[in-house]
Amino acid sequence: MVKNRVKKKKVSNQKIKKTARAKSANKRNDDIGEELRLKMWRYQLEVRHVEQRAHDLFFQNLIKGTSHLALGQEAIAAGCAASMREDDYSFCTYRGHAHTLVRGASMEGVLGELMGKQCGMLGGKGGSMHLTDVEKGAMGSYAIIGAHLPIAAGAAWSAQYRKSGQVAFCFFGDGTTNIGAFHEAINFAAIWKLPVIFVCENNLYMEYTPISEVTAVEHPAADRASAYGLEPIIVDGNDADEVFRVASKATEKARAGAGPSLIEAKTYRHSGHSRADPATYRPKGELEKWLKRDPIKLYRVRLEEFGTSDDVISSIEEEVMSEVDKATEVAKQSPAPSESSLLTQVWADGGSEWRN
Amino acid sequence: MAELTYREAVADGIAQEMERDPNVVFLGEDIGKAGGVFKATVGLYDQFGPDRVRDTPISEQAILGAAMGAAMTGLKPIAEIMFSDFLAVCWDIVANQIAKSRYMTDGQVNVPLVIRTANGGGARFGAQHSQSVENWSMMIPGLKVVAPSTPRDVKGLLAAAVRDPDPVMFFEQKSLYPVKGEIPDGECIEELGKAKVVREGSDVTIVALAAMVPRAVEAADRLKTEANISVGVIDLRSLVPLDTQTIFKEVEKTSRLITVEENPRLCGWGAEVSSIVSEELFWNLDMPIVRVTTPHIPLPSADELEDIAIPSVEKIFQTVLRSVD
Amino acid sequence: MDIIMPQLGETVAEGTLTVWHKSEGDDVVTNELLFEIGTDKVEMEVPAPVSGKLEKIFVKAGETVEVGAVLGRINSGDASNDDQSSEESEKSPSSSPNNLAEKQYKSNLSLSDHLSPAVRRLIAEHKLDSSKINGTGRDGRIKKSDVLEYMNANKNSLHELSSGSQNADEPKFIDGKSIIPFSRIRQVTAEHMVRSKTISPHVNQGIEVDFSKVDSARKSISSDWKEREGFSLTYLPFIIKALCGALADFPNLNSHIEENNLIVFKDVQLAVAVDLGLEGLVTPVIRDISSLSVTEIARSVSSIARLARKGSLKPEDFKGGTYTVTNNGALGTLYTTPIINQPQVGVLSVDGVAKRPIVVDRDGEDNIVVRPIGVITQAFDHRAIDGAYSAAFLKRLKDIIENHDWTSLLS
Repeated sequence: MVKNRVKKKKVSNQKIKKTARAKSANKRNDDIGEELRLKMWRYQLEVRHVEQRAHDLFFQNLIKGTSHLALGQEAIAAGCAASMREDDYSFCTYRGHAHTLVRGASMEGVLGELMGKQCGMLGGKGGSMHLTDVEKGAMGSYAIIGAHLPIAAGAAWSAQYRKSGQVAFCFFGDGTTNIGAFHEAINFAAIWKLPVIFVCENNLYMEYTPISEVTAVEHPAADRASAYGLEPIIVDGNDADEVFRVASKATEKARAGAGPSLIEAKTYRHSGHSRADPATYRPKGELEKWLKRDPIKLYRVRLEEFGTSDDVISSIEEEVMSEVDKATEVAKQSPAPSESSLLTQVWADGGSEWRN
Repeated sequence: MAELTYREAVADGIAQEMERDPNVVFLGEDIGKAGGVFKATVGLYDQFGPDRVRDTPISEQAILGAAMGAAMTGLKPIAEIMFSDFLAVCWDIVANQIAKSRYMTDGQVNVPLVIRTANGGGARFGAQHSQSVENWSMMIPGLKVVAPSTPRDVKGLLAAAVRDPDPVMFFEQKSLYPVKGEIPDGECIEELGKAKVVREGSDVTIVALAAMVPRAVEAADRLKTEANISVGVIDLRSLVPLDTQTIFKEVEKTSRLITVEENPRLCGWGAEVSSIVSEELFWNLDMPIVRVTTPHIPLPSADELEDIAIPSVEKIFQTVLRSVD
Repeated sequence: MDIIMPQLGETVAEGTLTVWHKSEGDDVVTNELLFEIGTDKVEMEVPAPVSGKLEKIFVKAGETVEVGAVLGRINSGDASNDDQSSEESEKSPSSSPNNLAEKQYKSNLSLSDHLSPAVRRLIAEHKLDSSKINGTGRDGRIKKSDVLEYMNANKNSLHELSSGSQNADEPKFIDGKSIIPFSRIRQVTAEHMVRSKTISPHVNQGIEVDFSKVDSARKSISSDWKEREGFSLTYLPFIIKALCGALADFPNLNSHIEENNLIVFKDVQLAVAVDLGLEGLVTPVIRDISSLSVTEIARSVSSIARLARKGSLKPEDFKGGTYTVTNNGALGTLYTTPIINQPQVGVLSVDGVAKRPIVVDRDGEDNIVVRPIGVITQAFDHRAIDGAYSAAFLKRLKDIIENHDWTSLLS
């Protein structure tokens, strides 16, 4: 069960001990600093609370179809986003609410799209699996496994050609590492030294099947890296700071023209593959074990150790929750898409005419 | 005026566009240093260099995926898929990604790219390298589909395709590569979605595409001299957008329509044209609409068999004779 | 055995024979190196396919030829030599199209019972009787062109089939509007008018004609005429007579256009426009009019108009016109720009003749006199006729009308 209520802490002896710990933590985590950490904290909270709200709205029948939630995987999107420039490109999968939010997309755009409303960022025409905010560099969520890997490579090629210094991030799951497009894209990016960072979020399950049962190697992404001349990179996907460090190194390398990186971030999803999945295929105790390593939990402790005050930590969470509430209301009030929008935007002229 | 072959017109058209717009780039297998397996892109690598003309590995999904990513982010890529049959290998990128992204994102995503490919039979390459698959593209909403029949149209329609802000599938008929034709000097640009009446006629209208156009014209000439039947021929040129008005205008005159295509019997473009005309011009028809197609079989490799399968001048001639009274 | 240029690569159409390793007259052994070919990419050594004598070389070293071209010939001594090329690969025409006929539903109806959509539509729109239409299509079916021909031939008598369509006497207004549907004749006339204007680039030319001499002739017999004939003698028969003379001198106007040909007719078959009140216009033909006198012309015109109005004319009566004249002068109009009667190239409009002051030269001095003047207008098809020709024709017509001894012709 995911907790989403803030606990107010009372001043106690505990706090004195924590301050002492914090002092030593300060020195340890200096390369990131508080500002960036608070940014990542906010990112993770935004994802957590929007996803939780989406979960609830689905059970209220306000979100139809299907939704793939990233509960438990927030740290990866947050850590990578913190390492990106505003004009960098990012591509993600159908489990992409997180990656779209952390690029700065609006919550009512996300929730509205999930509810099929006019205020949805895709006008209600794309749905949960295709969240896109081109203005913010979120170049789409892709529902065909692996398809966006070569597309991300293409965006990186464009940046390389135009010498803009931009990079492209590409997020995908462990299951993707066994599909053809994965191999084509990484080989392609490697030979052309494209500034693309491939981030595999290994949550241990390819849809309903343990990834270990369907992959010839132990680490589905990292163990393939050497096949393409790339360094194997494994990171704790539930630690936003670690993710940030690894992602930053990769973006530096890419911007320097030294080519792509393949990062495998270990994580776990708290819910099923999609809304329809109660995830009974998981072995007993596995979820509990991972809940102890809930990224939000971890990061709260991290901030405390770093010395951030409880007030700041909590107030950010309160802000985020109230934003989510506001966005939910806006989205609920928004009307369904107009009938006329059905036939628009097939072509660049805004229309859909195929004949004269 | 210059006389170029159909294959030379490809390189000429690409060069014209790459000269005009520095954002036009070109990628594909063996297209650069080798000039293309059909020698249709000779000289481009030398003229534009390795940054703009890129040889790729055998990775159709990566080729088209990269073209899409580049098109989404400011470039105007031309991607080659060597044989149009291979589109099946990367069909997800074409049908699910390139065709649908603009609509799914309600207009946020632009995909101004051209996919050019060598289409059709007649070269004895066997079933996996000879099919005409422009109909596969016609049926996917979100793709424009073009198939030129002359060198001039190759250059002009390729230019129009590159300049079009939507994804365009450009089908070059490989059997037409050696055919010569005149191309005017200076900039050459045609219009997508416009068919061309290449032969006037008053008794029956033939609508044809690509390699079937010259065969239809040859059959029409014979029909005039041998049977005094006046046959008009329309070169359709574009499947999407479809120039229905030109077809209607001609069929209103003649009241008879025959389509000639290289697609197999089922769901070729001729079926669509036939359906549209029979629905909208029903009361103008003096004869059922007849489709001349390849039979519903994979194409054989033996030359005699292939020549029987793909509609020949003789077959078109006999069909008109049989159908027109 | 013919040695041919091999296929070097996908759709590469030519190759260069770079070097012969054997000369004409040499013996060769199977698999011995015979010659080399090259392209910009590839150089290939080609061995001899059979043993024998290289009896002929057709293509020299350095020459570039098409794939499949014969480079030389090896005579391997076997008379029934395998010339693998042409003869066998000539496709037997019978193996072609018909074997590939797609399965088709075999309908039991014979085509002669079928009326195609196009035919049905025409029949419905014009309320035709399909049993009267001659079918020349397959199995005797009625084709669209059969219907069109039928309509064209019968357009003038179609009003027989009409059922009192127009009630022009008392229009009933509803909401300020009275809707009068076109009669069949009206429809056919309308279609013909539109079509004619679409097909022919009409140019209109007019000329003023002095009808003094005609008037003299008319006056000299007018009273007798009406009593005798039962109708008035108008200017029209004189004009028609003059027209025959003018057309004889300008025969290109007495013609039809068919595709890119001008069919000039030796004799004038004159179509005369007859107004059927509000029902429309028909153009029955007076045959061989050049041989008729003015009197005979007058009688023919009168009778044909009468018969047309009665509906007694047959389809043949409307066929074969080579030129048309239309008389609009009864109500004193100045000129009319008529519409050509397809597929003719000229039509003459005769309008009002009225007394007007004109200037004549008398003994070197200008004098104003009063004369009966009328404008005759010709519309011609500028595809076949040019302005100068038409103008000259009109001049001739004017000359004849103004200078002929009409009085003597009448008696």
